[in-house]
Order: sequence, then C-alpha cells, then structure tokens
Amino acid sequence: MRRWPAILAAVLVLGALPGRAAVETGQPAWREIAWPFPRDGWPAGRAFRCNNGGCNGVEVYIRPKLGFCNCDRGVADDDEVDRVSDLDLINERFAPLRPGEPIRVANMSGRVRAYELSMPGDARRAAVGIALSQRCDLFVAVAHGVAASRDLQRFAATLVETNEIRRWVQSAMQMRP
Amino acid sequence: MWDHVRGGAIAMACLLAALGEVFAQQQKIGAPPEAQNMRLVGANDLQARSAYQPTIHHQGERWIAYIGHHGGTDEIPAPVNPQTGKPEPNGTSIVDVTDPAQPKYLRHIPGQEGKYESGGAQMVRICDGKALPKGDRNAVYMLRTFGGEAHEIWDVASPENPALVTRIGGLKDTHKNFWECDTGIAFLVSGNPEWRTRRMTQVYDLSDPAHPVKIRDFGLPGQEPGSTGAVPTELHGPISAGPAGNRVYFGYGTNKGGFLQIVDREKLINGPKEPTPENLRSPEIARMPMSAMNGAHTTFPMKDMPIAEFARDKDGKTRDIVMIVDEAILNECNEPRQMVWFADVTVEKLPMMISNYTVKEASGNFCERGGRFGAHSSNESMAAVYYKKMAFISFFNAGVRALDIRDPYHPTEVGYFIPAITAATDKRCVKIDEKERCKVAIQTNNVETDERGYIYIVDRANTGLHILELTGPARAVAGLP
Repeated sequence: MRRWPAILAAVLVLGALPGRAAVETGQPAWREIAWPFPRDGWPAGRAFRCNNGGCNGVEVYIRPKLGFCNCDRGVADDDEVDRVSDLDLINERFAPLRPGEPIRVANMSGRVRAYELSMPGDARRAAVGIALSQRCDLFVAVAHGVAASRDLQRFAATLVETNEIRRWVQSAMQMRP
Repeated sequence: MWDHVRGGAIAMACLLAALGEVFAQQQKIGAPPEAQNMRLVGANDLQARSAYQPTIHHQGERWIAYIGHHGGTDEIPAPVNPQTGKPEPNGTSIVDVTDPAQPKYLRHIPGQEGKYESGGAQMVRICDGKALPKGDRNAVYMLRTFGGEAHEIWDVASPENPALVTRIGGLKDTHKNFWECDTGIAFLVSGNPEWRTRRMTQVYDLSDPAHPVKIRDFGLPGQEPGSTGAVPTELHGPISAGPAGNRVYFGYGTNKGGFLQIVDREKLINGPKEPTPENLRSPEIARMPMSAMNGAHTTFPMKDMPIAEFARDKDGKTRDIVMIVDEAILNECNEPRQMVWFADVTVEKLPMMISNYTVKEASGNFCERGGRFGAHSSNESMAAVYYKKMAFISFFNAGVRALDIRDPYHPTEVGYFIPAITAATDKRCVKIDEKERCKVAIQTNNVETDERGYIYIVDRANTGLHILELTGPARAVAGLP
C-alpha cells in the first residue's frame, strides 16, 4: 500500500505510454498483445506483455466490467477481489498469499491481493489481482509471471497508471454513471 | 449541383423523420399508456417509492398486496409518508386491493436506510398461520428482507397494524427468498459474511415463525468458507416444488454467468450440513449453464405440462419445464440482451434449453427510451388461473408482456401494457462524453398475479403500482370469460 503513492508520482512524472509498441523509459516496457482468452460474459479487455525492466515475460490483463451490484459499498473485501479480478481466466485454481490491501488508482478505489496460481505440471506462479470500482462499475487487472508478487503489483501499477490506459479506462467506464 | 442540394434535402428529411420516430417513442407525462390486450383497472403511487416484489394475499374477505421496495434515491433518500407526515426509508407497502379499481394504501413499514439496492426491504412472501405447521392460527405472517442485513417476519393479520415477530440478522445482501407455507421451510437468500460469495442460501425451518431454526447453509463448492480458487456465480433466488415435488430450482447470476441448478429437496434439508464441497455437491441433481452473457433471476418450474404437438407420441407427451428469466441491469442497452428462456428438464440430469422470448427492440425503439430494456422477473403465483397457460414478464421500459406458454417450445406474446409515466417517475442516466444524459421512462420491475386473474406490476423508477386485466384474445388464452 505504501508503495502506491510513490509509484503514482513516478508514473505521472514519466508519463509513460504503453502504446502498441514497446516504450523504453527505464520503467517496464509494455507491448500490447492479443487478448488471450475465449469470450466470456464480459467483452474482451486489453493484454500486455512486459519486455524489459526486470519484468520480462510478465503479462497484465485489464478490462472494465460495467454493471456491478455494490454501487455504494464498492470493492469492500478480499472475497470480492477473488470473485471479479479475472484470475480464473488464467487458471481456476488459485490461492491467496496474504490478505489484500486497499488501493486507490486514478479516481477509483478498491483492493489488490497477491495469489499463487497452480499451473500445469504442478508449477506455481505468482499473480496479483486488482479490483477497483467507480460507483456501479468495475475495473479489474490481473498480472502474472515469474516475479515476486510485490514486484508484480508494482509492474501492474506502472501500466495502469499510464496516460494511455487511464484515458482508455475513463472512456470505457463513462458509459454508465 | 442541384442533385446535390436535392440529395441533401432528402437526406435531411430522412434524418428528421428518423429522429421524429425516435422522439415519438419517448414517454411524456399525460400521454396514455401503451397496451395490447391488457387494460388498466386501478393504480396507486406507492408514495413514489421504488418497488420490487409484489405478493398478493387473499386474507379473510380482503385481498391485500404486500410490496417490497428498493432504497430511496439520491434526491429523496426517505420519501415522506403522508400517513405519518414523516420521512421514512423505503420498506414495505401494504395496499388493500379488494376493489382493484380503488386500491387503498393501508400502511408503510419502513425498511433499512440506504439508497437504491443498499436500502429498503425488497422481498416479501406471505404465509397464513393456519397453513404453517406450528404457526399461530390467527396470524398472517409476512417474511421480508430488511435492506441487505436481515430477514424479518411480521404478523400482518391486521395489515393496518403489522407487528414484528422475529428477525434473523447479521447478514449482507439478503434478497429473493422462497417460503413453503405448508411446511414452513424457507430458502433464504443471504450473504453469510463468512462465505466467499455475496449471496447464498440459508435453509431455515420457519414453521414456528416466532422461533426460527436454522437447518444449514448451502451454496456451490468454491463459495464456502475456506475454499480457494474461482468463486462460482452468486445465487439470485430459488423456487421450491415442496415435499411432493422434492425439487428446488435455484437461479444463479443476474445478467452474467447464469445457470439453473436442480436440487433434491429432501437431501438438501436432511443431508449432511457441514459446508464441505462434498456435502454441497450431494443434493445437486443437475446444473445447466446458460450463456455467460445471461443470468438467472427467476427459475419458475412447471411440471407435467401437456404439449399439444406431442399428444400422439407414445412417450414424452408431457414435459417438465422451467422458465428462466434474466435480469437486465444496465441502462440503454449497454449489455447483452436479457430475456426469457424455457428449459425442458424432463430428463433431469440433462436439461436442455428449448426456446426463448424477447420483446422486439424495434417495436418500440426501447434502446432509445431511457432506463433499462430487457427482462427482469415473472409472476410466481401457481394459481390455476394462469399456471402453465400464461406467463407475465416484467421488461423494464417495455412494461409487462403477456405470453401464451401453453406450448413452451413456442412461447408467443399475446399482450402487453406499458404504463404512462408521471411526475414521480425517476430519471435514468448514462454518461456521454463525460456528461450525464438522463431520460425518464417506465421501469416495470416486478409482476405478480392473484387467483382472480388480476395482474400487478410495480415500477423501479417510482411510478407505483398498476393493476391490470387481460382483454380480447389474451383473455381467451387463459380461459377467462
């Protein structure tokens, strides 16, 4: 939690842009890839793979989910993060590593939680789920890769806080007050 | 040049005509309701409170409507009750509908403070004390939710003077309960804070409403405390076929990830109760997933339906059908269409969707009208007047739709009624270019019928209660004179 203001400040200063091509800023450089999951109840989001900055191979999937029943309460507990943050797209078998933490990104507040994913061949992989809400809508992100969960959280933050993603999220989520 | 001018003029005329068509579909205060084969009999404004479930009960010589409410609005969190002169958080309206042309508002029981889905007292079910195995024979019991935090039972034998009997609290997100009046078994939709899902089932013995006895918690493996991994879609509501039918039909989801779950009632009530994955799986007979783009608000069973087309077949003349109604939740069509589905569950292990129904959007330009467009719920009365013959579907800005379901393989709309808006009808907004754009439209939220054949619809956008009757060919479908 304490890292987020610093991350936010750094990103705002750097004004990093992910774009369709990698951007070298000293920060993780994200390249957009095709949404790797079959259609489910929500429209597809956007997927990114990190190519440098110590996060090589880390992937982040983000998407808005319009229509969330807890309009007043928001993302109030860790169970909500378990339910909505799209970890199940990667693998339905995941377990939390520790209690989640409240976060605030842009104008949205919610929670972030670290997980261990069970991968094929009994492999384990760290993942981070983020669920943010704005009134009756959600924005979710999930990051996974060969990295410590704290680092995954930091990497995901650099992506979510980029101007391009912020603009995209704002545009996608203004469909409903 | 001239061709260009003339072409432009034609294009402009077409555009204006198209816009005129759209604007013509916008509801206006003072305009008449839109209807086909349905007629308005009477109405009540319900103190301009956002309404959810109506339940109509024949009580002595009177017919009483009990109507649950959502919470208040940003503008009016607690409307003034003219009977007390005080602002009261939305709760339960009690209306005497003995004369449906002159419904008489009897009493408002305040609900939980809170706006929209966060307050009020949405759900209501009624059982006579004399029907319940251990009830007070002189009592009439009303089971209602109290906001999201509790279930309450009131004695409404005197509907003007209801008295609280008991409360089951400490919960979150209570919702669409079902109560068997002949056994007292209740399937309460609750949020047990220890569970990983927002809503699950708490089975209670409410045969003595003054002394509720909890039987068990129930949900899907993955929802129980201590589980990990993906969390299955949350419950919306069950309907029980009682001890004779020995089935409970659970609907999961709202507008996403829905499915029908068919459960052995006997195993559910008397099986092992510890919420282990094995014990939760044990009473399940089948689970039929829907499209991930739809949810199951209502799962209404109709067993042994004779199918005319199959009458000469040696097997399968009758079918067990479950009607599944999705719930639209986003304004102005910002989601996949939520509609009505019919499942043939005759072979219980392998239920199959056989047909569907939706209002044709173009028939009223409903995506342009404002508010939600799509299905929400159906009548749940199993009284002979309509059961297995007609279904009534609340469709938000398309009002209520009357379906001929005698052949559930081919459900057919035979009537509709879209109430007029009033000064009390609340706006519904979407954001366009970061600005709110609001429209006012009827939002028919829930519907119920009584044994006399009257149809009761209530509005989520504060327009109140409308009591309807069928006319013309729709009346003939039900066999009404």
